[in-house]
Amino acid sequence: MACVIFLINFSPYFQTFMTTTLLEKEKQTTHFSFTGRGSEYFAIEIVNIVLTIVTLGLYYPWAKAKSLQYLYRKTELAGTPFVFHGTGKEMFIGFIKGLGVFLVLYAILIYGFISEDPGTLLIAYGVFLLGLLAILPLALHGMMRYRTSRTSWRGIHLGYRGELSDMYSTYLIGFFLTILTLGIYGSWFVVKLRKQMIDNVRFGNVRLRYVGDGGDLFLIHVKGYFLSVFTLGIYLFWYTKNLLHFYVNNIVVLQEDGTYSRLQCQVSGWDVLKLTVGNILIVIFTLGLGIPLTTTRTMSLIMNNTVMSGQFDADALVQTEEAYDSATYESMSDMMDIGVI
Amino acid sequence: MIFEGKYYNGQSSKGMPAQITLLADGLRIDYCADEVTGSVHWELAGMHPSEFNDATTLLRYGKFPQQSISVVDKGFKEALLQQYRGAAFLKSGYNSVLSLGFSGIAIMALSLLGLLVAFLIWGVPALADRVAMHFPESYERALGEQLYTKMLQGYQVNDKKTAALNAYLSELNTDLDYPITAAVVTSDEVNAFAIPGGYVVVYEGILDKMEHHEELAALMGHELAHIRNRHSLRAMTRSLSYYMLASVLFGDVSGVAAVLVDNASTLRNLEYSRTLELEADREGLELLRRNELNEQGAILLMERLQSGSELEMLAFVSTHPNTGDRIKVLNELIAETKRPAKEKPELERYWEQLKGE
Ligand SMILES: [Zn+2]
Repeated sequence: MACVIFLINFSPYFQTFMTTTLLEKEKQTTHFSFTGRGSEYFAIEIVNIVLTIVTLGLYYPWAKAKSLQYLYRKTELAGTPFVFHGTGKEMFIGFIKGLGVFLVLYAILIYGFISEDPGTLLIAYGVFLLGLLAILPLALHGMMRYRTSRTSWRGIHLGYRGELSDMYSTYLIGFFLTILTLGIYGSWFVVKLRKQMIDNVRFGNVRLRYVGDGGDLFLIHVKGYFLSVFTLGIYLFWYTKNLLHFYVNNIVVLQEDGTYSRLQCQVSGWDVLKLTVGNILIVIFTLGLGIPLTTTRTMSLIMNNTVMSGQFDADALVQTEEAYDSATYESMSDMMDIGVI
Repeated sequence: MIFEGKYYNGQSSKGMPAQITLLADGLRIDYCADEVTGSVHWELAGMHPSEFNDATTLLRYGKFPQQSISVVDKGFKEALLQQYRGAAFLKSGYNSVLSLGFSGIAIMALSLLGLLVAFLIWGVPALADRVAMHFPESYERALGEQLYTKMLQGYQVNDKKTAALNAYLSELNTDLDYPITAAVVTSDEVNAFAIPGGYVVVYEGILDKMEHHEELAALMGHELAHIRNRHSLRAMTRSLSYYMLASVLFGDVSGVAAVLVDNASTLRNLEYSRTLELEADREGLELLRRNELNEQGAILLMERLQSGSELEMLAFVSTHPNTGDRIKVLNELIAETKRPAKEKPELERYWEQLKGE
């Protein structure tokens, strides 16, 4: 499960925004950048917290929409910002759906604990896990559809063309193979899932491809695990850097004319170390109030160190999505956003 | 006024150089790229709210696929604000907060932090107290019984002394709605504590220290006051609500269930505030009076606890600080109402059984 959570945390940004190329001829570099400022985002989050408290939590989805609107607006590709079109109302509906599912699952689990009967607890725990297993593909699919359809750049919307049934088969097969192989297949599973998600993203007439290999990820994990143990955890920062590079740098952006470019993330292990230590200190010394600053610091580091290199023609994108408020976007899963990132 | 910018038509990502004119009823955008030239009119009503703009102003218009313009000119933003004061697309509560500047934001953050701390220090205990006071008695009793059983599992119960203590308590006029269940456990620790719902656990160590049964009556009076006023339940709900708050913050919901079940161990270490202790002392004294017992028992008990040998860790004292102060308060209370004490042979008899080896 841990790897899946990790993936959820990292994917939405990169799969939608990134690409890289290794082609030789006239390679050009297109920059990502993050222009948001900690103080501004902090102020927005303060307003969000106050309104959320005053409304006893009801404002939360609107708060979420506002912070996303800010973060997208301050994330630029080739000097033009992204736009997040999601609204508080949409996120409220998604939030209620997600909350409903999780409340039911947790109620079952807590019932198991309170009954104090080992048999009941075991059954409750089983139902809880099965429920999670059944809901995660739906949630991933819904999140991809929702987030991509609500993202635009220079007026061109992203979109997700993946099928829910494919998501389920990829997920369930991968999950059981991972269990059967005692976790070893996990790396290949994560890569399959990323392929399923990223390969189905459209950015106007541009397609994305995820070209990572499960074996490479497995090696990163093995190396990361042992070196982290030997270095008493210090290597964890380089381990994180390797994972970040693996997730980002394997995204290829294909244009219609066959040219392509690749994402390149140049964050180093030292950068990750400085970022992490700084973030921890901020959170501790502000009693958690400084969390918005850690978000902008993280975004700055990653976005300002990521480029798209190859033949990306920022002027050649063409709108291919249909209006997202059409009936096709009204199914149960579409708005279910468990609210990661 | 005319500004230079880029126009995106919603069909292509190509930014077309454009001249933007601010008219009374909206914007006119004249664009020109390669062979294509054209002009569009944006009505104010169709323009989308634009927040978080910086040096670059981004405006969007119409239904999907939206058209947009981007103007890198600070003057444009000001011109918009002047020309279309109060227009819907310019309204933003967030932008007005952002314009408060550093000190304004800092003041907001500090007051929020203050509120948060105040909520943790006063709000949570007050809420927990309310919950504890409205807890139905049958639940309190059921919870207490569970905790009592759990707690006794770790100890050896002295059955003979337990029987004597219960007999002693039934002779006392305790003025408590609950049936009282007490147990004496084998331990050198000088301690005793109250469990919600009418349960009391007394350690042999504290009994050994006593020489008069009035001291026992004073101890029981004190512990029963904790129960009657739901002190222990209140302390439990407090610590539980902090725990729940922490688990919600760190996203560990299943931990709450575990703590509900496993509160027996924490109960031993609960500390009451000074006010609650004095309240229990005062009501404990009431019990001595009601039973026409020598009120000096309460003082003796305190002194007994205070004069324990230096090295001996007195658990009861450690969870009940300020013994000297409490003796002073008790002395004042006793001086107020001097009353003659009576002999109670029944109580004496059970006391002998309790002390007998
Ligand atoms: Zn006490």
